[in-house]
Amino acid sequence: MEEGVGVVNEEIWALGAESVILRVRRWGRTLIEKRRRAKPYLLPEIDSLLRRQRTNRECRMLNRVRRLGVRAPTVYAVDWSSYSILMDFVQGEQLKVIAQTCSDDDLMDLCKEFGRMLGLLHTGGVVHGDPTTSNIIVDPQRRLWLVDFGLAEWNATVEMMAVDLHLVRRTLETTHWDRQEIMLDAVLQGYWDQMASSADEILSRMEEIRERGRYH
Amino acid sequence: MCLGLEGTAHSFGAGVVTDDGKVLSNVWDMLSPREGGIHPREASRHHAELGPSIVKQAIEKAGVQPQDVDLIAFSRGPGLGPCLRVTATIARTLSLHLGVPLVGVNHCVAHVEIGCLESGFQDPVTVYVSGGNTQIIAFAGQRFRTFGETLDIAIGNMLDTLGREIGMRFPAGPTIEREARRGERYYQLPYSVKGMDLSYSGMLTAAKRLYQEGIPIPDICHSVQETAFGMLAEIAERAIAHTKKRELLLTGGVARNNRLTEILKGVAQRHSARFHRVSPPLAGDQGAMIAWTGILQFKAGDHLQVPESHVLPKWRTDEQDIIWRRG
Repeated sequence: MEEGVGVVNEEIWALGAESVILRVRRWGRTLIEKRRRAKPYLLPEIDSLLRRQRTNRECRMLNRVRRLGVRAPTVYAVDWSSYSILMDFVQGEQLKVIAQTCSDDDLMDLCKEFGRMLGLLHTGGVVHGDPTTSNIIVDPQRRLWLVDFGLAEWNATVEMMAVDLHLVRRTLETTHWDRQEIMLDAVLQGYWDQMASSADEILSRMEEIRERGRYH
Repeated sequence: MCLGLEGTAHSFGAGVVTDDGKVLSNVWDMLSPREGGIHPREASRHHAELGPSIVKQAIEKAGVQPQDVDLIAFSRGPGLGPCLRVTATIARTLSLHLGVPLVGVNHCVAHVEIGCLESGFQDPVTVYVSGGNTQIIAFAGQRFRTFGETLDIAIGNMLDTLGREIGMRFPAGPTIEREARRGERYYQLPYSVKGMDLSYSGMLTAAKRLYQEGIPIPDICHSVQETAFGMLAEIAERAIAHTKKRELLLTGGVARNNRLTEILKGVAQRHSARFHRVSPPLAGDQGAMIAWTGILQFKAGDHLQVPESHVLPKWRTDEQDIIWRRG
């Protein structure tokens, strides 16, 4: 059986597609342990490659993005035998959940800030890779934290940044269909505030990507 | 009883389905070019030439008279314009001639609905994989939403293009699956998952390069299948985790692949979801799925007047209000 990073006590906090998120007590504080378990239905070569690559990526990115001014959990330890990362537990609620109940004004403020954070990442050459509203935590002070950097990449090109924005639009389409317009507008507004005119090329590429996968 | 016509791409099909969901007949013919891919105009000519006789066969095989048909449904989109227009013309003619209502059906929605009919699933996450489509679809807020999709080429298109490159006939999927079974070595290929979407073009380019380097075909096929299906499994898994649905449906032409089925079965198991692969006659493009969806749509009060029955080549899965389902 898989062992964690010297876990004392733990509870399953969330079950993701590619990992189990455990809430653990360690050194007198509450932390998160993210464990990427083996998937027996994948070719073992691919499975272990992905687990290793994403664990590696996530650790490096969490450190890197904080230097860009983006709030993200601090990494404390990594266990390569179980592909687990021990990191800060961010208190708060997913934007996905908040967006179901909060007012339009409140939501637009949060989305604008989300856009600004994406702009900060992109300015630093990083793309998130999975910028859904589930991966944004709003803390009690209404500050936004970005989590889940397993699909993140650096040395971002215009294409990669445009895909990142396209994914934001996709998540709004499928998950926040009734408020997608105001949310997208606010995200892009915040993004533009941060990126200024360098956003133009990326935004027009985003439109291009939207057309690409479609029947013609 | 509904006669459904499907002609969005290289196949033309006609099927007769009863109001309670019994498939009485399902006849189709696929254009299989000797070399190269599908040309929209050639495909539409194929539909125009064979369409009428396929319709006739469907009615005969169903053991009914043309007058017994009380609804005509046709694939209104998405698809290749010329093919859609030929199909719509046949459908309008039949509707006027028989004096029965006309219903325009979304091709992708029809794949999900016929799969639900066969499996008894109520509310699945659907993996729809074919020559022209790669979509992870689930129902939310009165629409079928595309939670995941390809950012460039469809999985079937990728397999066929690779197949053509390495000397296989269209469609190459079954040959690739056979070759892959003899594959022994895995060569790493670009694995490109972006959120709940994926991309196959980089993988295709890399696989072609392996061929040019003289890597044995079985190894290429094995590596391509494992990588392409692994990516698909991941986005399906993300959609299940995201929507918390408990059923996983596999459909479309590529659903015939046994390795893909095995992988997705594993995904379903991991999330305690039920799994069903739509049987080959109902998984590919065919008229029965159009007929059945037409019935659902018509019963819920939707039909078209001939003058407004223009085709919708770019009709997205999530652009139609699904009035026959509650969400």
